[in-house]
Amino acid sequence: MGNEPAHTITRYDQELDRLRGIVARMGGLVERQTAQAIAAVVNQNEEAALEPPELDPEVDALEREAEMLAIRILALRAPMAVDLRVIVAVLKMSGDLERIGDYASSIARRAAKVEVLDGAISFSALRAMARLVQENLHMAVESMVENDAERAQEVWKADTAVDELYTTMFRELVTYMMEDPRKIAPCIHLLFVAKNLERIGDHATNIAERVYYAVTGEMLPSVRPRGGAARTNIEQPE
Amino acid sequence: MSVEVPVKATGMTQPLDSTAASKDTPHPVAMQVKGLNFYYGTSHALHDISLDFPERSVTGMIGPSGCGKSTLLRVLNRMYDLYPGQRATGEVIFDKQNILNSGVDLNVLRSRIGMVFQKPTPFPMSIYDNIAFGIRLHERVSRSEMDGRVEDALRRVALWPEVQDRLSASATALSGGQQQRLCIARTIAVRPEVILLDEPTSALDPVSTARIEELLDELKTEFTIAIVTHNMQQAARCADQVAFFYMGRLIEVDSTARMFTTPREQQTQDYITGRFG
Repeated sequence: MGNEPAHTITRYDQELDRLRGIVARMGGLVERQTAQAIAAVVNQNEEAALEPPELDPEVDALEREAEMLAIRILALRAPMAVDLRVIVAVLKMSGDLERIGDYASSIARRAAKVEVLDGAISFSALRAMARLVQENLHMAVESMVENDAERAQEVWKADTAVDELYTTMFRELVTYMMEDPRKIAPCIHLLFVAKNLERIGDHATNIAERVYYAVTGEMLPSVRPRGGAARTNIEQPE
Repeated sequence: MSVEVPVKATGMTQPLDSTAASKDTPHPVAMQVKGLNFYYGTSHALHDISLDFPERSVTGMIGPSGCGKSTLLRVLNRMYDLYPGQRATGEVIFDKQNILNSGVDLNVLRSRIGMVFQKPTPFPMSIYDNIAFGIRLHERVSRSEMDGRVEDALRRVALWPEVQDRLSASATALSGGQQQRLCIARTIAVRPEVILLDEPTSALDPVSTARIEELLDELKTEFTIAIVTHNMQQAARCADQVAFFYMGRLIEVDSTARMFTTPREQQTQDYITGRFG
């Protein structure tokens, strides 16, 4: 996946490079969106909240560009083996990246609505979760750009911790809402923020799975070691 | 009370191989090549080839020009015997017999292992006689039985509707695609067990090519088929297993799905993805 010798047909290499370039750019953009969205919530940075939705159209346009180019290569080059795996991976990863951008925008838009909770409730679980998700997303994008199956596998394993933190936050917020029903609305917004972060983590894991398959030709098991839900008595919404 | 549930050990990864299930019930081997070496005079063309051809399935043989795939095909029905200075060592086991042995009756062998060539080779005689000729070589059949055999062979290659009204017309007047289907009909008319095809569609247009490929799909329910092709997509479409040859060596053989998505050898990958030389 990029570490292969050149194709006999140079144009083919150029097209594949362009395709990889598009998802690399998408990766950079959604990392930025996620970072700004998190800053908007945990630091209550109003300016940071504006950027993720602004970047969305660019991410969407890149997704469409990746799809068009992938279809074109499939039709015209009849790719095989590693090339075929990369193209299918790109098609799926571009979808994951686009979703991550959407979740980041959604988090950013909720920043102002959770403001009232600042100080009243500890954001420490959210901070920890945000740090982990950002790390995983960064590693996933890096593994994608560098064709690093080993790092992809690390991301795949690390997502369990995110799930566990989400469960902790869920319990914390439910308790808080029961204690102070006046805070239910901002708490629900915060819960959505956490849920969206957790979803970003899931999409980062998907990306890692696609990278692993593209590079090695092997699929990671469909069931990931999961934490979280089993540890709590409170039923979790999916 | 505790019930012990057997825990199936699962590896970290699982191969993406749609044919994994069919591997559990493999077709018996129709023809087995073991430790085969082949020489054109002093030139060593095939090096220690071992390859199984499963019964009633299609084995595709791919590789760059001069890799030995056509040479192997020519060994499989002793075609090389027609040329002096060519010899093979090793074994090709067919029906419990090493067909490379000197005692083998080549006429019988070639009726059981038929061959179709790159360029259609109709005999300069009528369509009917093209089919009947091969049958007469090996069997004595009555006129009415012969009519039936000719019709059956032509029907099986889907040529019957096109030629039934002009069976006595010259075969050379047929189109290229029709001629090639006639050659396949001629081959199957003698009821072989194995059919060898050496680039059977490289001289044909896409529609005729599709017809031949469709035909292979039907023929494999009855015959064991080995096809040499330069067209990777054709191997992907037609073959159940694919063997990749390079410089007289068998580099890799695997199920077609595995071969074109996840080849094990770098040389195979470079060749099928178009990164060769």
